[in-house]
Amino acid sequence: MPVVAAVACPHTPQLLIRPETEDRELVLRVHAAYANVKQMLTQARPDVICVIGGDHVEGFFLNAVPAFAVYAGERISGKFGRYDYTLPVHEPLARAILEEGIGREFDLTYSQDLRLDYAFYVPLHFTMPEPRVPIVPLYVNVYLPPQPTPRRCYAWGRALREILDARPERVALMASGGMSHYPGTDRYASPDVDWDRQMLATLTAGRGAETARLTGEELDKAGNVELRTWITLLGAVGDVRAEVLCYEPSWHHGNAMVSWPVAR
Amino acid sequence: MSDEHYFFPPARAYPLNQCLFRIKSDPAFVARYAKDREAAMDEVALDAEARAALRDFERDRLVALGAHPYLVFMAGLRLKMESQPASFEYF
Repeated sequence: MPVVAAVACPHTPQLLIRPETEDRELVLRVHAAYANVKQMLTQARPDVICVIGGDHVEGFFLNAVPAFAVYAGERISGKFGRYDYTLPVHEPLARAILEEGIGREFDLTYSQDLRLDYAFYVPLHFTMPEPRVPIVPLYVNVYLPPQPTPRRCYAWGRALREILDARPERVALMASGGMSHYPGTDRYASPDVDWDRQMLATLTAGRGAETARLTGEELDKAGNVELRTWITLLGAVGDVRAEVLCYEPSWHHGNAMVSWPVAR
Repeated sequence: MSDEHYFFPPARAYPLNQCLFRIKSDPAFVARYAKDREAAMDEVALDAEARAALRDFERDRLVALGAHPYLVFMAGLRLKMESQPASFEYF
């Protein structure tokens, strides 16, 4: 079956629990874009959503830091303050991605016991289609150097598409990653909005493959370490023109939502 | 590179990063930490310097000691969620 939807979303927790430091109107505009994605996913009638996310040192601490991982359990749970999520996992697809990925010489880690990170449940909180569907959490290391190179992310995404194209399920792909932000650093209040806008122009021009030539240093400098999740998705969708659903830079975060036409 | 934002976590900072990770990700630990910080810090093998930096929760000092900047950020937010739950809007 074809991939039936491909989107990229932000997941910053300030969208779920808004501190007083955040502009309420901006947060609501991002929620409106999430609602568009929810509608898009509902119309695409997926059997499963593969979420490509970067773990925020939640499932994986320094006990093990995989470059790429597949969660292959029955379900996965995560907690954030008063929020408590348990989501069913599409185990047959997770297992196929793992086995076929290893078969294609991507040395994937897998787990059946991880705490779900907010990179996964924040966008799903707002965009889970109706009826609800299971997920497959796909991990890309974004925060704990050395992270995988953009080239490798792109290659993994391309292999992922081959694997999915041979499967019977209707799959929605979601990359979860914020554009420019620098949490915990002295650049926190200065996101690189110009870099983000230039990148969005590249994507809307259908030149996503260029992201494979970025370096890890460039991503770190631009506050875009999480773009690795988008780059992985770009490997799966190829050079098709992106549609920007929203770009709402806050004082610390480039909130962007993007979709790609995926019919082949 | 001296100007990178996210760096390899030095092994010497493991206990400090572990403490920040538990504040961030272990709801029972953050509750204990909010109630009795010193006793909670005893659960992790922190040296005096790391304990002092955590007490003041000064980002630059923590990062200079090898704390991962993201962990500092989110541990700080979790502590705020614990101590000032009414200062957030929940969606």
